[in-house]
Amino acid sequence: MRLTNRRHGSKIDLQMTSMIDCVFLLLIFFMVTSNFNRTERELDTGLATETRTVKAAGDLAPIIVEVIRGDGGFVFKVGGRQIASREELTVVLRKIENKLDGAFVRATDEAPFLLASGAIQACKDAGFLKTTYAPRLDTK
Amino acid sequence: MRLAKRHGTKLEINMTPMIDVTFLLLIFFMTVNQVSKANRERMPLPPLAGSHDQEDAELIINIDRENNIIVSPQFISLSELASLLAEKIAGANNDPSRLTVLVRVHREADCRMVNQVVNLLDDKFKINRINLGVEVPR
Repeated sequence: MRLTNRRHGSKIDLQMTSMIDCVFLLLIFFMVTSNFNRTERELDTGLATETRTVKAAGDLAPIIVEVIRGDGGFVFKVGGRQIASREELTVVLRKIENKLDGAFVRATDEAPFLLASGAIQACKDAGFLKTTYAPRLDTK
Repeated sequence: MRLAKRHGTKLEINMTPMIDVTFLLLIFFMTVNQVSKANRERMPLPPLAGSHDQEDAELIINIDRENNIIVSPQFISLSELASLLAEKIAGANNDPSRLTVLVRVHREADCRMVNQVVNLLDDKFKINRINLGVEVPR
């Protein structure tokens, strides 16, 4: 006896519950991972106070990069020369032959941290083995 | 009497619950991993390439645009930071060189608080090496 005709008019049933499950899980997954988009790195630097910087400067004559207020805002200063951009500073620092003695970066209280950290990065990019950050004494 | 035929039976693995569980575990571990990064205040850092990838730091000092010090994740004063540093150094067998300090500064901040923190670290606690947090430019 044939009770039902299963071949004719059969429907494809989509399992919506499991699909919604997976879709929501994927949504949450991408929402969580999107927090990782900003890649953070680190810039290692030595620290020194003004007295140690002056002493070191007398002993080894290292390069001192200062962040000072220029005519049109804050600029970098290396050996009496004022430099406006980090890229230019890197080029100038690359030309210095003695990189073993390291470099000092000094910034006043009013100087933007962006420039101070940019100066440290420029010293690293130029190949200085040791970069030290030292606050300026005249700002205390 | 033979009731049922055993020929032609298929072993079916239901993939849907397996994917469900796998994703749940994945999200769980990713969320737990993020809790360990809660000490890192969400703020824009200087857009620089840096010198190395992130390391685990014993102390993360955040300095926001208004020169406030934020440590896990509470606003603290410079004197409170000094007490915290003393505690951490005592925990590192009184050896400041064993303490890894990460300083994260808002990209629009000035150097005022950074300079005070540096003076505190170097002068009082003889910590003469720190890591500065930077953000890889897009």
